[in-house]
Amino acid sequence: MSASSELAVLVRLPAEVALHARPAGVFVREAARAAAEIRVEANGRSANAKSILDVLALGATGGTELAISACGADAAEALERLSQLVAHLT
Amino acid sequence: MGLVIVSHSAPLAAGLAELVAQVAGADVPIEVVGGGPGGTLGTDGERVLEALRRAAHGSGAVVLMDLGSSVLAVKAALAELADDERGRLRVADAPLVEGAIAAGVTASTGDDANGVLRAAEEARHVGKL
Repeated sequence: MSASSELAVLVRLPAEVALHARPAGVFVREAARAAAEIRVEANGRSANAKSILDVLALGATGGTELAISACGADAAEALERLSQLVAHLT
Repeated sequence: MGLVIVSHSAPLAAGLAELVAQVAGADVPIEVVGGGPGGTLGTDGERVLEALRRAAHGSGAVVLMDLGSSVLAVKAALAELADDERGRLRVADAPLVEGAIAAGVTASTGDDANGVLRAAEEARHVGKL
């Protein structure tokens, strides 16, 4: 796989967990561990997954589907970690 | 890398520190100084100086202020510090709430002073709506 190819996953927030405050912080801190550029889309908005303010502005409530895309050498690993994290947010 | 929050209001500063800790996790040290002498709204230069001194160790801290005299108090306090203390502090020209949240999360990822300061200052460009 080429390092520059963009990968994407769809993952749904747990029904009772909004991507606000603490869960958003957990998500952004995980995204920040990756070298890849990562974006997350929800509700027709796109955010830099490493920017807490950007992610908070998505207003993603519980049950929202997130489209997470990543570009970079560790994109696949980053997407795997983030989709697992989102699915298990509490 | 920690944060210093300077506000005219003690509850505002404390509440913001609580919010930052929830979003960024509990590992980012936050010094809080709010209100004037005697619990009034305002600024207290002595307490601002003490807070900056407490933060000016190790990897240091980014300092965020709310308005006006908080900014003046921080500038005055910085002038009182020794060079090595002052060198550990970076003052953010940033909106207080958004800047503190962004700086706190960035600090929690282990980023350096430049990264944390940049996150705070970029906060003014991130739309809410």
